[in-house]
Amino acid sequence: MATNQQINAGVEGAEGTQSQEMLLNMGPQHPSTHGVLRLVLTLEGETVVDCTPVIGYLHRGIEKILENRPYMGGIRYMDNCDYLSPMLNETAYVGAVEQLMGIEPPRRAQYIRLLTNELQRIASHLVGIGTYLMDLGAVTPILWCFRDREGILSLFEALGGSRFNVNYLRVGGVLHDFPKNWLKECSAFLDQLEKNMVELEGLITGNEIFEARTQGVGYIDPQQALAYGLTGPMLRASGVNWDLRVNRPYMAYREIPVRPQVRQEGDCFARYKVRVQEIYESIRLCREAIDKLPGGPIGTRTPIALRPPRGETYFALESSKGEQGVYLISDGSEYPWRAKVRGPSFVNLQILPELLRGHKMSDTIAILGSLDIVLGEVDR
Amino acid sequence: MHTFVLSYLGLQLASNPPNIWLQILEFVIAFLSIFGFIMTSAIILILAERKIMGWMQDRYGPLHTGPWGLLQTVADVGKLLLKEDIHAGSTDKAVFLLAPSVFMAPVIAAFAVLPFSPYIGLPGTALATGIVYLVAMSSLDVIGVIMAGWGSNNKYSLIGGLRSAAQMISYELPLVLALIGVIMFTSVLAGLPGFPSYGQSGVGTISLKEIMDIQNSAWHKTGIGILDFIFEGFTPWTWFFLFQPLMLVVYYTCGLAETNRAPFDLPEAESELVAGYLTEYSGMRWALFFLGEYGNMTIVSAISTYLFLGGFSGPGVTYLLGLNSFGWSFLANILALIYFILKVYALCFVFIWIRSTLPRLRADQLMQFAWLILIPVTLLNILVTGAIYLVVAALGLPTWVFLVVTAAINWAGLFAFIRIVGAATSATTRRAQAPAIRAQRRAALATPALSGTIPARVPELPQEATAGKQ
Repeated sequence: MATNQQINAGVEGAEGTQSQEMLLNMGPQHPSTHGVLRLVLTLEGETVVDCTPVIGYLHRGIEKILENRPYMGGIRYMDNCDYLSPMLNETAYVGAVEQLMGIEPPRRAQYIRLLTNELQRIASHLVGIGTYLMDLGAVTPILWCFRDREGILSLFEALGGSRFNVNYLRVGGVLHDFPKNWLKECSAFLDQLEKNMVELEGLITGNEIFEARTQGVGYIDPQQALAYGLTGPMLRASGVNWDLRVNRPYMAYREIPVRPQVRQEGDCFARYKVRVQEIYESIRLCREAIDKLPGGPIGTRTPIALRPPRGETYFALESSKGEQGVYLISDGSEYPWRAKVRGPSFVNLQILPELLRGHKMSDTIAILGSLDIVLGEVDR
Repeated sequence: MHTFVLSYLGLQLASNPPNIWLQILEFVIAFLSIFGFIMTSAIILILAERKIMGWMQDRYGPLHTGPWGLLQTVADVGKLLLKEDIHAGSTDKAVFLLAPSVFMAPVIAAFAVLPFSPYIGLPGTALATGIVYLVAMSSLDVIGVIMAGWGSNNKYSLIGGLRSAAQMISYELPLVLALIGVIMFTSVLAGLPGFPSYGQSGVGTISLKEIMDIQNSAWHKTGIGILDFIFEGFTPWTWFFLFQPLMLVVYYTCGLAETNRAPFDLPEAESELVAGYLTEYSGMRWALFFLGEYGNMTIVSAISTYLFLGGFSGPGVTYLLGLNSFGWSFLANILALIYFILKVYALCFVFIWIRSTLPRLRADQLMQFAWLILIPVTLLNILVTGAIYLVVAALGLPTWVFLVVTAAINWAGLFAFIRIVGAATSATTRRAQAPAIRAQRRAALATPALSGTIPARVPELPQEATAGKQ
C-alpha cells in the first residue's frame, strides 16, 4: 500500500529531473481483461498507485429482458449471463421460479441437474485456470484446459442440442432424459479428465516461477473477504468455510454431501489451488451422482404459460464463481414483475482496486486473472 | 580448386589488388546471402515453433497452406510484405520508421563472423576477436527496441521499451562473464602437444573458429581408416560443455533474456502490454522485428554451438578435406553445414520447448535473477577456474588434472545451481508471503463464525423413485 508520502518521495528525482504519474487505460480492448473490462490505472513507474475499474461495455439489459419474457422464455437469456457456466445460471433461475410456484421437481431431474451443474463447474474452472496461466505468460495450460472443456461441451451438445447456451433446464425438471450411452461417455470422460488434471498440475503447481508469481500476491484476509461480500473460491481461498452446497443445500445436494475446499493462504496461489481441488471434488460428485441416479420422470407437468402466485423470492446456488442468486417478484401475470440477478463476478470484482494498490503492473493481470470474473455477468 | 568455392561465396573477391567495385560486389553478395539466410531460417523456425508447440499442446498447428502446412509462414511473409505501412499520426516519425532497421542491422552484422563450414562463410569469419564482436553486436539491439518504444508514442510501447532496456543491459553482463570460462580454457589448452598454439604459451583465443578447432584437436592419426575418418577433427570428449556445463546453462539462460524469449519475454508480454514495443507496428516493419528476434535466436544458438558443442565439426569433415580433391571437399563442406545446422536447430528447439513450458517472470524477479544469482555464479566460476589452474601449475601436475577437477566442480555446480535457484525463489517467495502469513495468524484468532450456521432441518427430496430407464 503506497502512501502519499511514499509516492511523492518517488516523484522527486535526482538533480532536478521530474517524473510524473502515468495514467494507463487498460482495456476495454486488451488481450487479458477477460472481455471488455476497462481498468484506469495510475502508475508510478511500474507500481500501481490507483485503479478504477470501468464496467458496462457488455451491458445487454438481461434483467429487463427477463421482465419482458414469459417465465419459461427467460431461461435462454440466463445462459448469456455468465457465459462460461450457463447451466448454473439456468439452475438458479429455474430454482427461483420453482420456489415461487412451490414446485418440487422429481428426484431424477434433481440428480440430472446436479450432474450437469458439476460438469459445468468443471468447465468453468478449467477456463478460469487456463486463462489465468495465460495471463501469467504460460501458453500451454490454456490449450490443455480447453481440450478437456471440449469434452464437457460435447456432452452438453448431446444432451441439449447446443454446446454453449444449452437451454436445457425447464421449470419443474429438465428438457430431455439422457441420450443412449451418455452416462457411459460421461464416466469415460471423467476418468480421462482425472488423468489430464494430474498432468496439468504436474506442469503448473510445482513450477518455481508460477509459485513466485502467485504466492503472497493479492492477499485477502478473511475479514476483508467477508466485508466485500466475496463468495465462491475467492472466499474459500481466504480461509472462510462457506459453500452454499454445504451450508444451504439445495436440490440433490441434500443427499450428496459436498466436501468444501478451503485454503488458508488467501493469495492468488490459494485461489488457483482451490479451483483445482474443486475440479477433483466435482469429478467425485459427478461419479456419485451417476452411481446413485434414480429412475422416474424427469419433470413435473407444468402449463406452458406459467402464472406463479403473487409474491417474491430469492434463490441462490453455489456457482463456479460464487453465490449466483436470482430474485423474482411476481404480480401473478405471465411475466415477472421484477427480476434481479445477483452475479458473483460483479461482487468479487469490487475488491480489485484494493488488491492492486502497491503491486507491480505485471501483478495487475495476475491478480485480475485470479479473480476469475466473467464480464458477461458483471455487466449483464 | 578451393578458390572456386571461395570466390563464388565472395570470400576473397576483394583481397588483392584492392578494387572498389569488387568490394561493393562483395558487400552486396554478403548482405544478400546473410539476409536470405536469416529469412529462410526465420521462416523455418517460425513454422517449427508453431508445429512443435502444436504437438506439445495437443493440437495440429498450421495444416492448410501447402502440404502439411509447410507453406504457412511463406504465405505469412508474403502477406506482411504486401501490407500497407501504417503509422499513427502522433508517432515520432523518424525514430519510429528507423527503429526496425536499427534493430535488424546488428543481427545481420553479427552473422558476418559466423562460419558455417570450413569454407562457407564470409570474410569476417577470420576475425580474431569474434566473441567480442558478436557480444557488441547483440548489445546494440537494445537501441532499436528503445527507439521503437519511444517513437511509437504509446504507453504500452514505452513500458515495453524501458523494460527491455533494463533487461538486455542487465543480462549482457552474465552473458559475457559466462564466456570467459571458455576463453580461459583455450589459453590452458593452447600450445599443448597436438593443440594449436597462438604465439607464446598461455595465450588463448577469442576467435570463434579457433575456439572450435581447439575443441577438436585431441585426435592423433592412428592410421586405422575408419577411426581416422570419424574422429579426425571431431573429438566430443574435449568439447567445452563437458568442462563448463554450468556456463552453458547460464549463457543459454542469458541468451533467452537477450532475445526476449519466454520466460523472459516481458518487453513484449502479450497479456500485460498487448505487444510491448511492437504494439504500433504492422506489415514489413513488424516483420523486421520478428526476423531480428529469430535471427538473434539463431545467433545465440550458434555461439553456444561454437563455444560449447564443437561448432560444425562432425564425423568425416576434416578427413574428407584432407583428401585434397574438389569433390570430397565439397562433400565435406555440405556435411559440416548439416552438422552445424542440426546442432543450432537442436538448441533452437530448446528455446521453443522452454517457451511452451514456463510462465513469465515479473520485472523485479527478473532483475533479481540476473544480479543476485547469475552474476555471482559466473564471477565465482572465473575465480575457481583461475585458482585451480594456479594450484595445478604450482604443484607441477599435468594439465588433465586441471581439466578433470574443473569439470567435476562445474558439474557439481550445475546441480547446486539448480538447487540454489529453487531455494532462492522459494526464499523470496516466503519473504513476499510473510505479511500474508502474519495476517492469517491474526485472523485465525477471530475466525468468523459463518460456517456453523447450517439450517437445522433440511427438507427431504421427494421419494418417488422407480426402476428407471437410462
